[in-house]
Amino acid sequence: MKREAITVRNLSYSYPDGTKALEDVNLEVYEGERIALVGPNGAGKTTFMLHLNGTLRGTEGQVEIFGKSVDTMRREEIVKEVGLVFQDPDDQLFMPTLFDDIAFGPINQGLKEYEVRERVEKAISSLGLSGYEDRSPHHLSFGEKKKASLAAVIAMEPRILVLDEPTANLDPRSRTELIGIINELNEREGITMVIATHDVNAIPELADRIYALNRTIIETGTPHEIFFDGKLLKQNNLDVPDVFKLFEVLRCFGFNCEKLPLSLDEAISGLTTVIETEGGHIHLHIHEHTHEGVKEWRNKYGHHVPK
Amino acid sequence: MVEYPEIDRYSSLDSPMHRFDPRAKLIAFTILIFSIVLLPNLKLALIGLLASILFLIASKLPLRFALQHIKWVFLFVVPFIIIMPFTVNGTEIFSFYGLTMTYEGLEYGILVAVRAISAVILVLPMIATTRFDITIKALAKLKMPNMLVQMFMFTYRYIFVFVVEFQRTWRAMAARGFKLKTNVYALKTIGKALGTLFVRSYERGERVYQALRSRGYTGSPKTLVVFKMHVLDYILAGTIIGFAVSLHIIPLYLHS
Ligand SMILES: Nc1ncnc2c1ncn2[C@@H]1O[C@H](COP(=O)(O)OP(=O)(O)O)[C@@H](O)[C@H]1O
Ligand SMILES: [Mg+2]
Repeated sequence: MKREAITVRNLSYSYPDGTKALEDVNLEVYEGERIALVGPNGAGKTTFMLHLNGTLRGTEGQVEIFGKSVDTMRREEIVKEVGLVFQDPDDQLFMPTLFDDIAFGPINQGLKEYEVRERVEKAISSLGLSGYEDRSPHHLSFGEKKKASLAAVIAMEPRILVLDEPTANLDPRSRTELIGIINELNEREGITMVIATHDVNAIPELADRIYALNRTIIETGTPHEIFFDGKLLKQNNLDVPDVFKLFEVLRCFGFNCEKLPLSLDEAISGLTTVIETEGGHIHLHIHEHTHEGVKEWRNKYGHHVPK
Repeated sequence: MVEYPEIDRYSSLDSPMHRFDPRAKLIAFTILIFSIVLLPNLKLALIGLLASILFLIASKLPLRFALQHIKWVFLFVVPFIIIMPFTVNGTEIFSFYGLTMTYEGLEYGILVAVRAISAVILVLPMIATTRFDITIKALAKLKMPNMLVQMFMFTYRYIFVFVVEFQRTWRAMAARGFKLKTNVYALKTIGKALGTLFVRSYERGERVYQALRSRGYTGSPKTLVVFKMHVLDYILAGTIIGFAVSLHIIPLYLHS
């Protein structure tokens, strides 16, 4: 059994103006795990994440990092364990140049100058930002700024990385790159990941487990468990990956597979299996239940039904 | 792309001023600026102006860029040139409708103008030839109080964010047909837009602070920077300071 990296017990939080943002949140994340935190806007994802490194302190409840309560940890200790990447890179990048920004965390950690330089170098090259050291943030594109703020946090070498909507507003290519980088950090460095996201298409590649949050934890499970729970999805306005939707439609046309795929990789292996077992081809047709099935499918996702 | 108000747009050129060590440059030019601003007579001030122009030429900054920045002082200087000649007592040049223009007044007005223009010209080789972040670091190295250094740093970073946000708000208003007029409605709308902008800045400030704390900020952002003075830096700084001082000392000998 793996160690618990994050343990949250009965956490509640209200903003000073009285907004109840979190209520009795319970959650655990194991070392090396990748967690997606999903929930509609205003569900409390950002608020929750600010509790993981003690920026906000719950009105009630406990947050533990590797078994230690954040209340008893010193600032430097928490910051060393938990790296928090904010949603808006302009909030995070405040130094005049990229180099200064990435060096900021390691310097605060009290590292020696040559160590700081090594850390910066490593972070910059692992995010493909070499050559941008002297740029100021207002001369970086949004995607570059997003990468830069991740670099600024990984230069501190935290064991847990908390990312607030890392793929939001990125162009498709930057998005794919960022997903790759996050997974590589998880595989190579064993960094535990907590990722708040609306990007359902990215979840199957990005997360081992999902927590659905809406002020409190509603459900947890693997992507398959969550995306197959139609009722849960409907009640919480959660979307599912496009690949999954497509294969639901294909099923209405008689496509026969055991487990609907969530990602393109799964689709490829699923298709391969089906084609091999059915003698070299797949068979789609319109049968008596097709139209009804498609109509139901449309209803399920609340799509407009054309006449 | 957004037009940013960048004083350091041409900091990547190469010139003796660009190669000058930022700390020595700041000190030497600050002393020279003070020296010129305190000059008591027009002849000396004109020598100061000439020197300022030579430094500007040596910096290889494009003339257009330089004029863009220098033109603003004229706004402040022109009233002096117009008013001074009529308010200082002295030898009359001519008079009409009871207003008397005096030789002393004219000279004093021009003196004020020449000093101000020289000072602003000198700011360019001092500031515009170094990346602004390096200027800030040089100020920190020169033991400027940490509080001020941080204020410069945050201002420099967030003024750009603010400009973008302001333009965004402005475009959103224009896109919905808003035109700038001097009526109550337009003023009210602008007031509201500014209000929104301030609230947004306040909220941003809070998030920036949270992000800083999340990376272990304890009150003083530190940076790594290596400055190294070369012989030429000492010579150049020495020459500029020497010139600044002699502008004040030489006249003493000439009079006695
Ligand atoms: N600084 C704040 N002051 C008051 N209420 C806030 C503040 N920040 C967020 N909230 C409120 O708390 C709730 C959760 O917000 P947030 O954590 O930002 O949600 P999410 O990140 O899931 O969109 C929302 O209702 C939001 O309006
Ligand atoms: Mg959020």
